[in-house]
Amino acid sequence: MKLPGNDILIQSLINEGVEYIFGYPGGAALHIYDAIFNQNEIEHILVRHEQGATHAADGYARATGKPGVVLVTSGPGATNAITGIATAFMDSIPMVVLSGQVATHLIGTDAFQETDMIGISRPIVKHSFTVESADKISEVIKQAFFIATSGRPGPVVIDIPKDTTAPDKLFDFLLPESTNIRSYNPPIEPDIKQIKRAVDAIIDAEKPVIYAGGGSINSNASEELVELNKILNFPVTNTLMGLGVYPAEDIRFMGMLGMHGTYQSNMAMHNADLIIAIGARFDDRITNTPDLFAPRAKIIHFDVDQSSISKIIEANIAITGQVKNSLKVLIDELNNKKNMIEHTKIKPWLTQIDEWTDQHGLNHELYKENSDTSSILPQAVVQHVYHITNGEAYVTSDVGQHQMFAAQYYHFNKPRRWINSGGLGTMGFGLPAAMGVKFAFPNDEVVCITGEGSIQMCIQELSTCKQYNLPIKIININNEALGMVKQWQDMNYGGRHSESTYQSSLPDFVELVESYGHKAFKVEKNSDLKSTLEKAFSLKDELVFVDVYVDPEEHVYPMLVAPNGSLKDMWLSKDKKV
Amino acid sequence: MMQRKLSVILENKPGALARIVGLFHQRGYNIESLHVDPVKDVENYKDIEELLNITLKENEVSRLIITTTVSDNLLRQILRQINKLIDVLIAQEESK
Repeated sequence: MKLPGNDILIQSLINEGVEYIFGYPGGAALHIYDAIFNQNEIEHILVRHEQGATHAADGYARATGKPGVVLVTSGPGATNAITGIATAFMDSIPMVVLSGQVATHLIGTDAFQETDMIGISRPIVKHSFTVESADKISEVIKQAFFIATSGRPGPVVIDIPKDTTAPDKLFDFLLPESTNIRSYNPPIEPDIKQIKRAVDAIIDAEKPVIYAGGGSINSNASEELVELNKILNFPVTNTLMGLGVYPAEDIRFMGMLGMHGTYQSNMAMHNADLIIAIGARFDDRITNTPDLFAPRAKIIHFDVDQSSISKIIEANIAITGQVKNSLKVLIDELNNKKNMIEHTKIKPWLTQIDEWTDQHGLNHELYKENSDTSSILPQAVVQHVYHITNGEAYVTSDVGQHQMFAAQYYHFNKPRRWINSGGLGTMGFGLPAAMGVKFAFPNDEVVCITGEGSIQMCIQELSTCKQYNLPIKIININNEALGMVKQWQDMNYGGRHSESTYQSSLPDFVELVESYGHKAFKVEKNSDLKSTLEKAFSLKDELVFVDVYVDPEEHVYPMLVAPNGSLKDMWLSKDKKV
Repeated sequence: MMQRKLSVILENKPGALARIVGLFHQRGYNIESLHVDPVKDVENYKDIEELLNITLKENEVSRLIITTTVSDNLLRQILRQINKLIDVLIAQEESK
């Protein structure tokens, strides 16, 4: 069969199982857009800004586990996509970004809308390709999807000079069935010797903690993790990126750890004699000061990326391989030695953790307050949303205090339900990410918990939601300030609120959202909160924006003491430090 | 801290060198010297062919020699980061 480059590209994407392309057209991508027009298998979603396209593809990828696909034009189209590519890179999300480029003969001439996309994106991609000619397109697409989805996943950029997709030049088209990149062989199976060492350490442990992160979600290892802990009954904590991989309702779940982790999680990590890290990377929000981190703990580290092991915290036992496969082997080995696991040995440790929870655990009953003598607490908003959605919604968030409240108070029992920018911390992520999730799961509840600062960074996507009729629920936790910035200024800068408030310049969100053709409600009183949220969620076929004015003085606690603190050093309130 | 010599075998493709040089800056490592050549004497790379189960052809890969002054721990991390790059076949410390 002979086809032009633009059709070869689309046929190659169809062959990879692509359902949606999130994108925005422009000069250098017009041949590709013409090929999209002439087919029905892939639906193109027209966003309002390329950043929205990348976040939508990212949300789709996080919720489904399949790669998100983005198409942008050259120059500003490509540079606008950068923030979203970096967001996906930091959280190891599979994504393929197709960027138009000026024609090959114009490259390097400072042509109209020319930019060196390969150069600009190099530090924030897993790999990138420039298409040299149309007959290379199908192989490049095959390799790009393989790289994006295998090993430690990540974004791959394909820069496509306009001439390689010209409709008037035909090339032989053959779909490659598989691909082999000789210089790229991501590890899959673990080293059994290391697994046996891990089993010995697990049997010896008296104060163990399982610390699971986003890598365990990327590897689809949730079932294995639950099965593992049926054998072990160890306390479990999840990172911000790992929430949902272990059921929050399980009795052994201690909540999130780290900067705004629960008291019991942070204390357990600090005092542990064994930390089993599973697809987690000891990021600085987790370790606090690395030299003071978990001083008595032996570390077993499971990861697919060898460069993540012993990068920050030296691992005693390193298990490189797909986390899912490694856990399966570990479970088999533990089952062989079942008679050697003494559950009584960790009893005092479990009791100690229960005591910590009783002393300073989070209060999950704040939503019961309905008196109008006090302001609405942001935590209570999340708790209401959790109860109204029966804990079954896909929840996306932006970045800041509302993100931490959502992570602390919405209990995720399944992986891929909590969709947030953990690594890069990208404000503006929540709404477009929710769009991507809603396309993937149109019959499920999708909630974006956001703040009045973050939502304004990609608010133009409300227009996309109108075009495609996406009935997302947006909960705007409005404290009329950049809350997390303000919190740090309160805690560390003598309360000097430098550029963290807007001085009455906020829009009327209800009017704004209504002008985009959606429903919106404003809530200012505790007594209206529950009923308004219930009304919003009852409008199944409409996007509803609920603008909730909350106590502007509220902070997120616990909060690690930094700099020079360990995981046991926390602020528990504005004036209580342990 | 001592001066190390790293040897990197990478695909001889446009942009491959930039990924390695960029990685040094991105991760905060310093390059003291750098030398790169396409590999012509493939017969001297039998050990790598055997290790990776591949066959090399003349000019198909490049050999990069980088010197940098780092601790043992950082050297290990640098090598792992370079080895992670898709176009890199192998990065190792040059034996003295």
